[in-house]
Parts: sequence; C-alpha cells; structure tokens
Amino acid sequence: MADELLVKARAGDRAAFAGLVRVHQRLVYSVALRMLAQREAAEDLAQEVFLQLHRSLETIESPSHLIFWLQKVTANRSIDRLRREGSFEAAPLEEAIGLAATSEGDPLFERELRRQLLELNPAARAVMVLRYQEDLDPSDIALALDMSINTVKSHLKRSLAMLRQNLGAPLDGCPEEIAG
Amino acid sequence: MTEEFERGLRGALRPVDPPSGFADRVLERLDRQSVVPVEPRVWRPRVRALQRHWYSGVALAASVVLAVVAVNQLQDERSEREGLEARRQLIEALRVTSEKLDLAYEAVNRPPSTDDAGV
Repeated sequence: MADELLVKARAGDRAAFAGLVRVHQRLVYSVALRMLAQREAAEDLAQEVFLQLHRSLETIESPSHLIFWLQKVTANRSIDRLRREGSFEAAPLEEAIGLAATSEGDPLFERELRRQLLELNPAARAVMVLRYQEDLDPSDIALALDMSINTVKSHLKRSLAMLRQNLGAPLDGCPEEIAG
Repeated sequence: MTEEFERGLRGALRPVDPPSGFADRVLERLDRQSVVPVEPRVWRPRVRALQRHWYSGVALAASVVLAVVAVNQLQDERSEREGLEARRQLIEALRVTSEKLDLAYEAVNRPPSTDDAGV
C-alpha cells in the first residue's frame, strides 16, 4: 500500500501524494511540535517538509527510506528554525503540547517532562525526540542529525541526567544502549 | 527505575495528530507554489527583453549610419582641401615659369648696346 502510494506519487499522481501526506502527517507534525512547542509554527514547518518531499520524490527509494527522510528533514529543519529565530513564544502549555487528556501515565509528570525538554538546546532536544518519540537507535539518530554516535550518546546521557535531576528522580542508572 | 523513567518519556512524547484539514492545506500550498509564478516570471521578462532588443537594434543601426555619413563627410572635405592646395601650387609654378620666360624674351629681343658695337 505505502509502496504503491510512493510509486504513484513519484509518477505525478496528486491523490497518491495526498495519501502520503495523510499517512505521515502525524509523524512530521509531532516531531515539529515537540521541537518548536508552538502549534502554528509546527504546522507551518510540517507543511514545508511535505513541500520539500514533493520536490524530492525522485530521490526516495522505498517506504522505509521515506520515513527516515521525513524524520531527518523535520528534525533538521526544526533545529535550523530554532537557531535562526530562537524559541517561539510559549503558548499555554496544554494547548501547545497537548495530549494530557489522553495520556495513559501520570499527566502531571508527563507535562513537566515536556516542559523540561524545552529547556534543552535544539540539537539535544532533537536527539531526545528522535529517541523517545520516533524510537530511533543512537546510530540512526547520528545518521539523521549528521553527528557522531558518541555525540548522540553524550546528548542522551546529559539530557536524561538533567531531566532526572529537575524532576527529582534518582540519578543512578542509564539505558544500556547509551552506557559507556 | 530507569525503565520507568523512559516509559514516562515515551508517554510524554506520544505522537499527536495535526489539526484537521492539514493535508488539504499542504496541497493548497503546493498548488499556489506551482501556479502563481508562471505568468509574470515567464512572459513579462521575455516581452521586456524583446522590447529592449528591438530598441537596441534600432539604436545600433542609427549609430552605424551616422558613423558612415561622418566618415564620408570627412573624406570629402580632405579631398577638397588637397585639390585646392594642388591648384594653388600649379598656379604658383605657372607664374614663376611665366616670369622666367619674360626675362628670357627680353634678353633675346633687347637691341645691342654701344659697348657691344665697339668690340
């Protein structure tokens, strides 16, 4: 299905491209929203990512390549925009970040986690979003953000320590994949 | 404890849907990008370019004609000056020759003097 959409979109089929947008809009918008923390800015950036995708369809080789391409372009565009324009004016937290009502965990804890994530610098925030939202391995994050794998692990370690400290969680312990 | 914290992170970063109509807005923006620039960016510059080339051609042709006329005028003036100078020199030469002929004629036709007769 995804492969068929991609083939047709590459051939210039407008409906197929619309289908690709609908399939992947959640991924792109979520990454942009977690990075920028502002609904309008996130939608604007997500639209730009899909416009760039339309121009780059010839270079997309497969559905899995498309997903990685979207994660990579969205994260890098978000970092660029944050570096260029600084942090966006914070909207009321639950309006901008959303999801508290549908959360399965502790809504207050998760809200505070999201607020603390916004304290990280753009690159460290992108590493955390790609790791814990998109579930990418450190090696894939390194590829997406054009960093060394050690830099990715270092970002993860420092960001987790900072979050634990600020949230009053125990400091010991570290996920196996970033240890060492 | 670490796993619990990471589970909390994943929960906090659960993906969210964009506002409804997102895909339609992407397509509208795509249409605007592909339609709007066509008319002004393709045709107007070409018309202006043609007008500019047309005026340039006329200006170039007029310049060439003026240059040819000016060069001919200069050549005519120079030829006329050279002709007048040659005429003046010829008249001067004829005048000198005439004076010398007069002197020779007088010398030939002068009557012999008394000094000459006594010799």
